[in-house]
Amino acid sequence: MTIRSDRDHGQRYRPRMSCLKKLEATVVQMQDPSTGVKGTDQKLNVTVIPHVITGQDIVAWITKNMNVDNDEAQAFGTMLVAYGYIYPLQDHKKLVLRPDGSLYRFQTPYFWPVQKWNAEDTDYAIYLAKRNIRKKGVLDAYEQEEYNRLHKWMNHKWDFIVMQAKEQYHAGKARQKADRVVFDCQERAYWIVHRPPAQTHSAMDYGLDRHIDPNAEEKKTYDYYRRIIIYTQQAVMRSRVKSSVSLGALAKYITTFKNHDPFLVPCLPSNPWQTDDDSYWELNAPDVEIPTKMRVERWSFSFYELLNDPRGRADFKIFLKKEFSGENLAFWEAAEELKWGTAASMSEKAEQIFKTFLAPGAPRWINIDGRTMGLTVKGLEHPHRYVLDAAQTHIFMLMKKDTFYRYLKSPVYKEMQKKAISPAPHNFTEAQLQENMRNRRPSIDPIITWQKEQEEKAKAAAAAGPIDIKKLMASKLDRK
Amino acid sequence: MSRWRQSVVEIQTRKKHVNECERAQAALSKVTACFQQMATSLGSNMDGSFLREELEETRTVAHKICSGLHRRLLSLLIEMEQGQEDKGQVERIWVIFLSSLENFQKDLKKVKVLQEIFPLTQRKDRRALVNAGYAGGTSEVAARAAMVQTPWLSVEETASLDLKNHIVKIDVLLEEMLQRVNVPLWSVEPTQEAWLEGVSNQDGWQEEDESLEDIMEVEVVSQNNTSGCCNHHSCKVGCLLCLLS
Repeated sequence: MTIRSDRDHGQRYRPRMSCLKKLEATVVQMQDPSTGVKGTDQKLNVTVIPHVITGQDIVAWITKNMNVDNDEAQAFGTMLVAYGYIYPLQDHKKLVLRPDGSLYRFQTPYFWPVQKWNAEDTDYAIYLAKRNIRKKGVLDAYEQEEYNRLHKWMNHKWDFIVMQAKEQYHAGKARQKADRVVFDCQERAYWIVHRPPAQTHSAMDYGLDRHIDPNAEEKKTYDYYRRIIIYTQQAVMRSRVKSSVSLGALAKYITTFKNHDPFLVPCLPSNPWQTDDDSYWELNAPDVEIPTKMRVERWSFSFYELLNDPRGRADFKIFLKKEFSGENLAFWEAAEELKWGTAASMSEKAEQIFKTFLAPGAPRWINIDGRTMGLTVKGLEHPHRYVLDAAQTHIFMLMKKDTFYRYLKSPVYKEMQKKAISPAPHNFTEAQLQENMRNRRPSIDPIITWQKEQEEKAKAAAAAGPIDIKKLMASKLDRK
Repeated sequence: MSRWRQSVVEIQTRKKHVNECERAQAALSKVTACFQQMATSLGSNMDGSFLREELEETRTVAHKICSGLHRRLLSLLIEMEQGQEDKGQVERIWVIFLSSLENFQKDLKKVKVLQEIFPLTQRKDRRALVNAGYAGGTSEVAARAAMVQTPWLSVEETASLDLKNHIVKIDVLLEEMLQRVNVPLWSVEPTQEAWLEGVSNQDGWQEEDESLEDIMEVEVVSQNNTSGCCNHHSCKVGCLLCLLS
């Protein structure tokens, strides 16, 4: 029924779940009757159920036995609950360990999360059907949705699911009442861990499955050793840098960018993720009129930063227009477009670029050395994505070594520095934070942003095109 | 052979076979459900050699039903290639049988691993059994499984298998089933509806069920509303990974 073939080279091993094996050993220790956490009885309406433990006892045991402090013990305990080794009896949907008198119980090993057994959809369908049979209308909204979805996708198995649900329900009834309650609690806890309601954090999130079992020891065969040898040979051949040099570069980077990291220095006016106020994003939008001081400062760090920031690039363009040397940047942008554009438009773009920038006597001829020019022109006969790479790098270096420093000393930049604003930090009170949270609105539709960008580009292209002499003269004549 | 050329006797025997298979399938469901109930006690404080024996017995019963059902269904389906009327019904049973075999095999694998993790060979191993809150045993469940009847249960002899070989044999069975007969699995229409009515056999049972739900809801200890994972006042995340603490 389910397509099973071990030769399909599919990825099915769950990574980062090897911690589960270690957790199991701890849990077994924890429930040891003499040295583990002390359990008491839970009194319910009609029965008494043994083996109930309180949150504070768990935290105390972990603190003592694992020799950690209270906060860490609580975090560890919450992990145990989140993975499903212990489940809460009150407020069963919230998988957190509370260090007070709240009650917990150990999960039976059948329901432990194990790396190899994924919680299957079939079982989930049977579980939901069972609960529905037991009492109609008891499923939550998200569970009902899942149930309908499973009914649609596993329609052919539905008879089996219903039959099995009924039989499991009757088999459960054959047990004593107390055990039935325990089993139902266990099953419910299991499915809360493995099929959490939407928008809750689940400990079972682990990303993509792996191709090889990360827990299995690899057999040291001939192939394994051959692989290791090739790997080490290649590692020896790699070029090396002295650690003083690389660490020096890292230290320099850190000192330069230290004040711009939102983790280390709070961003002005306020971090939108924390205060729900998006003025930070609005002030730093790509097409804003007046950028912030931090942004302008960032442009001076390196040419790459300047070019990457769209506002910075626009400013640089204005400067270049004044100097009448805009062709370098235009060529660089055109080369970027070729690199990132669609494959269908490539030959067309290559033609365009050749005519505008590279042909002898072209309107915006760029000044690169003869060798690079020869290589590029030859490559353009059969254009591919990276055919302009050499020329682009050359132009980039030219701009960086020459034009960039002139820009930093230019009046354009100095004016921008003066004009840039430095927003004052917000200081929201708790009530204002709640207000912000309520007033959250979605931002502009990305389609609109994209359309605006296209319009800007069209305008820029029209402005940069070759000036039609006739039209210019015609307008001048008209004025006369 | 078209329908009109079959004799009445043949049609009747075929109907009888199909009904037998349906009943056997129901029995298999029962046995696997009971097996699962008992398997959940493995590794808990109720675990013991008694439970494991009961599991073994249930497993052998299931194995007998499986092999008999497999043989019969296979022969029915092969006959069917000559054009029969009850194609839909037999295919339905086939699909249900496939699914229940897979389900059962999953339980068997779990049981095998659990029995390895919690071996009961020495006395001190009993301390490792998790105190999961069970008080009673599963003998009633085992009795329920043992009461299952199929026509061939007592008559036919099937080789008994231990756990590991059983899992392997089911693999073989499944492969054979998928390859030998050409049944379009996804075209089977179920007869049950999506949202079942609650089981309302006896009134007594109904009341018992409702109080069961109430029992499971333990009173919530009073807590302040801003309890997140930590005591920070603006922590709205209910898990341990918030960055505010």
